[in-house]
Amino acid sequence: MTARPKYVGGAVKRREDKRLLLGRGTYVADIQLNGMVHMAVLRSPLAHARINSIDISAARQHPGVLDVVTFDDIRDLVGPLPCIDLFPDSKQALHTVLADSKVRYVGEPVAAVVADDPYTAEDAVDLIDVDYSPLDPVVDLGSALRDDAPVLYEEFGTNVANTIHHEVGDVDAAFAAADRVFSERFDIHRYGAIPMETRGVIAAAEVGTGRVTLWSSTQFPHLARQFLAGVVSLPESHIRVIAPDVGGGFGAKCEFYSEEVLAPVLTMRLGRPVKWIEDRREHMLSTTQAREQTHDVEAAVNADGTVTGVRVTSYTNNGAAMFTLATTPASIFSAMLRGPYRIPNYRAESHSVLTNKTPLAVYRGAGHPQAAFVMERMMDIIAFNLGMDRGELRLRNMLTSDELPSDRGTEIVLAGKVEYDSGDYPRCLQMGLDLIGYHEFLDEQAAARHDGRYVGLGICCYVEETAIGPYESAIVRVDSSGKVTVLTGSSPHGQGHVTTFSQLVADEFDIDLEDVTVLHGDTDLIPDGVGTFASRSAAIGGAAARLAAGRVRQKAMDLAAHLLEVSPSDLEWREGTAQVIGDPSHAMTLGELAQAATAWNQLPEGFEFNLEATHRHQAPGIAFANATHIAIVEVHPRTGQVTILRYGVVHDCGRVINPIIVDGQVHGGVAQGIGGTLLEEFAYDETGQPLTTSFLDYLLPTASDIPHIETAHLESPTPLNPYGFKGAGEGGAVGSPGAIVNALADALAPLGVTLTSDGPYTPARVLGLIQQASDPAT
Amino acid sequence: MATEVLVDVEVNGVAHQVRVPPRLLLSDLLRDRLGLTGTHLACEQGVCGACTVLLDGRPVRSCLLFGVQVDGQQVTTVEGLGDEQALHPVQQAFHDEHGMQCGFCTSGFLISTAAFLEEHPEPSDQEILDMLGGHLCRCTGYQNIIAAVRAAASRQEVPS
Repeated sequence: MTARPKYVGGAVKRREDKRLLLGRGTYVADIQLNGMVHMAVLRSPLAHARINSIDISAARQHPGVLDVVTFDDIRDLVGPLPCIDLFPDSKQALHTVLADSKVRYVGEPVAAVVADDPYTAEDAVDLIDVDYSPLDPVVDLGSALRDDAPVLYEEFGTNVANTIHHEVGDVDAAFAAADRVFSERFDIHRYGAIPMETRGVIAAAEVGTGRVTLWSSTQFPHLARQFLAGVVSLPESHIRVIAPDVGGGFGAKCEFYSEEVLAPVLTMRLGRPVKWIEDRREHMLSTTQAREQTHDVEAAVNADGTVTGVRVTSYTNNGAAMFTLATTPASIFSAMLRGPYRIPNYRAESHSVLTNKTPLAVYRGAGHPQAAFVMERMMDIIAFNLGMDRGELRLRNMLTSDELPSDRGTEIVLAGKVEYDSGDYPRCLQMGLDLIGYHEFLDEQAAARHDGRYVGLGICCYVEETAIGPYESAIVRVDSSGKVTVLTGSSPHGQGHVTTFSQLVADEFDIDLEDVTVLHGDTDLIPDGVGTFASRSAAIGGAAARLAAGRVRQKAMDLAAHLLEVSPSDLEWREGTAQVIGDPSHAMTLGELAQAATAWNQLPEGFEFNLEATHRHQAPGIAFANATHIAIVEVHPRTGQVTILRYGVVHDCGRVINPIIVDGQVHGGVAQGIGGTLLEEFAYDETGQPLTTSFLDYLLPTASDIPHIETAHLESPTPLNPYGFKGAGEGGAVGSPGAIVNALADALAPLGVTLTSDGPYTPARVLGLIQQASDPAT
Repeated sequence: MATEVLVDVEVNGVAHQVRVPPRLLLSDLLRDRLGLTGTHLACEQGVCGACTVLLDGRPVRSCLLFGVQVDGQQVTTVEGLGDEQALHPVQQAFHDEHGMQCGFCTSGFLISTAAFLEEHPEPSDQEILDMLGGHLCRCTGYQNIIAAVRAAASRQEVPS
């Protein structure tokens, strides 16, 4: 008898699709409750100003308006919103639910209105009269750091909220002994997640108990419950958070926002459910933005290309407050800059700087895209100046698999120690070069240049922290029908958890995928959990589900042995059935065992009723994924248009559970990196006014902007969970900026153009660079 | 409160008579008055395409029309494409090719693709890209959406 094919590793089509395809999903905006009323938020029109007074009388009198609040109305009810990755000595630049006497960015919530319908609520927002005294804004990093800069938080006397240090080896000795030292300043621009579903919340307080239910488009319902409890001083037991279908997040919903407190506070005031759906303009003003950093980097290099040391000072433009995960990008950047390279001597100093821009926090890859961009741009600059091949220079410096595990001597906030667990970085690079046909390209490039065409190839290799803790929860239970329910604390927003987790659990029980139900996203249903971020769900949440299923199976085997009156060692598990080895007629199915597990008198001594187990999986360390991205681009010298001709990814996320889903994650991440590199930017004028508040001026990539992405997988299992899974959600966005900009720099090299910014390389900008290079006087 | 207006509209083959304020968007009429929440709003500025529905068979942005403008016309939303027993070929292709992740933009892609394939049963790759250019997706990187449109097109060629 052949064994049933396993689901893990198979290209299983998604189980969550059908209801979404039929238009029967349930996103927050789709939910209607009896008596529900609607909230609209008045936001600051100024980047930096003192609030002298707020007149809400006209808004209050507007027909259909039920409530209007400013911070003074709720000051005693709410604490500041948390930042969970602050260091102990960081400035506590926390924000309040509504602006308290001062506004620090355009879009900051100032007042909230509740009305019978959303149109009326928006009308009434326009009737609120705020008297502001404008203050000098600080917008860019340079002006925020000047000694005479206006400070956002007077009590700190500085705009630097936080500084992170790393010191590995003897850096100064490495630089003293180096044959060559390369110094560069790199700028990373501001772009962001922009999920297609904007944020949204509904809050409803139960009359009689005061218990609050919050529906939120969030990546972490359990953390949202904890944060809301803290901010409004309620016990967590009085709060239920539901994340229904969530339409993308990419980090922007891995935050706890003012509106997630305002709606609960207002429902408690009014006794009616309160709904708020962010519109796109609000999203572009008040949802976290990402990436913006500046780096001064020096590399100590021997004549043979060995990079012996790196020193970096970096600045992150954190915007106007430290939101939930404000420090993580800077922390990841400085802990992970060296990527796959040995570079034994390393010093990093990384500052988080407050400015009058929208707050910055995590977005797919957090600090990794910045780290990969800076390191890989530097590698190309070194190779170019030493006259070395780019691939050879990288291979010379790469850690080999024999050198792993490797303690890198750095640490990532919340996540912990950076110790690379497994991988084969040189092989991954070699596979990438083979996939794209590197040596053939060099010949083609020579011919193209001869014909006056500007084509270039860019490599980006990176190592990425994934599968971080602290833990994830899973409950697995078998009901009397023999079907299995999995409850996971990791709540998805498009990643396909239902399919992936079903594969894992179905294999453990050796049953059909359809016999597994996966539930998530409700804190009343799932007692505890962490959430979906940091490429952690499959590796940590999936491992938890599989381990819980294993415990249930063991329990079922023990019960079967008791009931069949055989030794457990005489039993085997096949197709959801405990069978006596060699005698399949003596067997009990999962359904029979589940029924027996709830019956009178026939249970083994000490057997806990029900076929159910809870497992909280804690990884002993971070699993590090890695990849090589290679792009080939062509630049049209007269229009500045950049065309991506080829794009290849060799990706190593350990053991792959579902290649369809992993490839989909890679495609989506690469597309976001391409968008950020060629099109997207949150632009501000010198007064801190945002210039990109709609999809007409913030350009997202469309189908024509994204090339066909060629993918290949290398599977280096991590020893940190029993199944070897690493994370796959973010890597696409990590490698793409570096690969594309390196390709662009290669294409433009004959024109003498040097690139030290990550973009966006719009046609106009590329044309400007070409013109500047051909006539430096302009 | 402005005077409400009576609108007669057939949605997915069902006749409705609704009284709406003149400024109520078609998207809100469909979602909030008729409970057809499969039509999603992602920008409300006519850029992203998520709210696309068919008006007398032609794709339109329901966020750029007022409900009163569809009086006497026929609207098809994603709920009218296929059903649980038989997905529309375009829906089936998006499933088969993993042309969707979070599902939020998907309804608009399905509606436009269904209308497009009616007019272009054998589309070229460039025609497919031009059509998809009216829609934004932030999850898939479009690769599998393009594959899904091709797959749906090839299936429609089979005479039924």
